Amino acid sequence: MKAGPSQEEIRRHNLGTLLRHVHIGGSMSRAVLAERMGLNRSTILGLVSELGAAGLVREELPRETGRAGRPSLVVRPESDRVYVLAFDVGVDRMSAARIGLGGVFLDRREIPVLPGPRDAGKVAEVLAGCALDMVGAARRGTHCVGVAAAVRGTVRRSDGLVRAAPYLGWEDEEFGEDLMRRLGLGLPVSVGNEASLGALAEHLRGAGTGCQDLVYLHGDIGIGGGVVTGGQLLGGDCGYGGEIGHMVVNPRDGRPCGCGARGCLEAEAGERALLEAARRDPSSTGREAVHAVVEAADRGDIVARAALRDVGDWLGIGVANLVNVLNPRTVVFGGTLREVFLGAAAQIRSRINRLALTASRENLRLRVGELGDDAVLVGAAELAFSEILVGPLETLARAGARTA
Amino acid sequence: MTTTPILRLRGIDKSFGAVQVLHDVSFDVRPGEVTALVGDNGAGKSTLVKCIGGIHPIDGGEYWFDGERVQVHSPREAAALGVEIVYQDLALCDNLDIVQNMFLGREKRRGLVLDDTTMEEMAARTLEGLSVRTVTSIRQQVSSLSGGQRQTVAIAKAVLWNSKVVVLDEPTAALGVAQTAQVLELVRRLADNGLAVVLISHNMNDVFAVSDRIAALYLGRMAAQVSTSDVTYSQVVELITSGRSGDLGLAHSNGVTA
Ligand SMILES: Nc1ncnc2c1ncn2[C@@H]1O[C@H](COP(=O)(O)OP(=O)(O)O)[C@@H](O)[C@H]1O
Ligand SMILES: [Mg+2]
Ligand SMILES: [Zn+2]
Repeated sequence: MKAGPSQEEIRRHNLGTLLRHVHIGGSMSRAVLAERMGLNRSTILGLVSELGAAGLVREELPRETGRAGRPSLVVRPESDRVYVLAFDVGVDRMSAARIGLGGVFLDRREIPVLPGPRDAGKVAEVLAGCALDMVGAARRGTHCVGVAAAVRGTVRRSDGLVRAAPYLGWEDEEFGEDLMRRLGLGLPVSVGNEASLGALAEHLRGAGTGCQDLVYLHGDIGIGGGVVTGGQLLGGDCGYGGEIGHMVVNPRDGRPCGCGARGCLEAEAGERALLEAARRDPSSTGREAVHAVVEAADRGDIVARAALRDVGDWLGIGVANLVNVLNPRTVVFGGTLREVFLGAAAQIRSRINRLALTASRENLRLRVGELGDDAVLVGAAELAFSEILVGPLETLARAGARTA
Repeated sequence: MTTTPILRLRGIDKSFGAVQVLHDVSFDVRPGEVTALVGDNGAGKSTLVKCIGGIHPIDGGEYWFDGERVQVHSPREAAALGVEIVYQDLALCDNLDIVQNMFLGREKRRGLVLDDTTMEEMAARTLEGLSVRTVTSIRQQVSSLSGGQRQTVAIAKAVLWNSKVVVLDEPTAALGVAQTAQVLELVRRLADNGLAVVLISHNMNDVFAVSDRIAALYLGRMAAQVSTSDVTYSQVVELITSGRSGDLGLAHSNGVTA
């Protein structure tokens, strides 16, 4: 028989949980923490002192309460002292950010790039350069406690190998390993799928806050997908789960998809399908091009309207399938799909209402992403924070030893 | 998951002289939800809203609020219940700043005298609570704001006093795509924060994007009030244009000549 957790393990768990509460929920009083964690106030006091002594949280007066009387202290994450590095290898830009505990952007760099294949080593070199620049600019006595990167492709969970990222021309790239070597911070680099990280971000800090079952659809060059079910990110056997863009909705005479199949959701409802249906100049792609179609439709342009209606129809079909299989509470449209959703909501919702099972759809909420273009970076940061939220003192001690 | 309505109208009649504009209208509004009020031009949407807001006295019918039958004879009485209307013509003062506009005509109505700092604080907290990031300074003159920002200020003004029901009469009618998106997100956030929101709009995409329920007025009668997850675009269009769709809507052509 396995022995129960030791005192030490319980304490470590409680420290991690408390840190997660203030990291995600922002400053809160010890009384609120006691209530949320189901622990008595003296235990909370002990945990807060320990995290405070380590420099992970600080107790201070709240900003203004507007109420009379003596306000109680709140526990605040030490956003300036403890941070992670987050990367997003986007289609038309690469982003790097230094994000503090609590999810605060402390510093960021954006490098515009031309869409198209890019050498993985070169990408790692550029991002590492930006990151080291930001680390160098950080105040002394601050600690980097994790690093993570997002790519639009399939990523093996066990070792972060990027199996395929077609928009970059990558196949089996050890991108995380390479990035780690170039950074030389002694920290492993976690790699994740961009839409899965977007899903995580909207779940923790955006449109899906408090919602345990959520589907996130991210539009840019393709359609990325991320699924949170029962509060957990769905990864499947090896981490490749959630590829909603390659859900086949029109196999017989559908449009060819970048993955080699026909009639994938991405092929029918992605950016290229919209722009072609709207008969747009094929050389203009990306956010502005999608925006131009939605604007034209709003002004009454019938070609743009028909294009949005078609794309909305396929999106509705795709979402109806997801609703039947996953019964999400919320479906979030992010990236360029935010605009497409707002411009085609009648079509999308009507399709879902006609196709999905009544019981599965009746409480369904359709929402646009709240984090906008930062969703992917925010998600990458959360991936990078995972270690310190499990073992705060150990992780910080390791980081301290490295910087000493 | 159905919550009880906070605002409940039953059998509302309203005429202007000999012209009957609303006939036997029932309407429910629930907290945490966006109820879209749709209908053709002249269907009676704005009139219904003005009855809710106490601008027009009702000729007949019942006004229930929070489970109690009430009489609402003036905007002041509506505001006292927690009912706020943002009318089509916004009524903001161009030569005043955001804070001044948010409190314009309100201090007196509430019988309060507030100092500048308190007003600034309340305005800032309200805008922050709505996650409004589009306004750079709350001391900015309203004349310098875009259409979307003006709507935002008008909406913030409506929720400043812990209102419970907020009615928005065509808030996106004059706005472009990007600003409409901003306003719709704000509308959704109000409801997600627990308010009961009524949204009047002609744009079916706006209606389907943010509403939980759709109420369709047809020639001054409530044709149907349905859940947004139960109807299609074409059904709603039919309800608007003919008062019925399949087994939804008015039973007969309701005595009005078609
Ligand atoms: N103050 C008024 N006096 C006389 N008739 C009015 C008045 N207000 C509205 N009406 C009439 O009532 C009908 C409904 O108008 P309204 O409520 O503005 O419709 P909607 O907002 O649905 O377009 C119209 O025929 C309009 O002319
Ligand atoms: Mg009107
Ligand atoms: Zn595919």
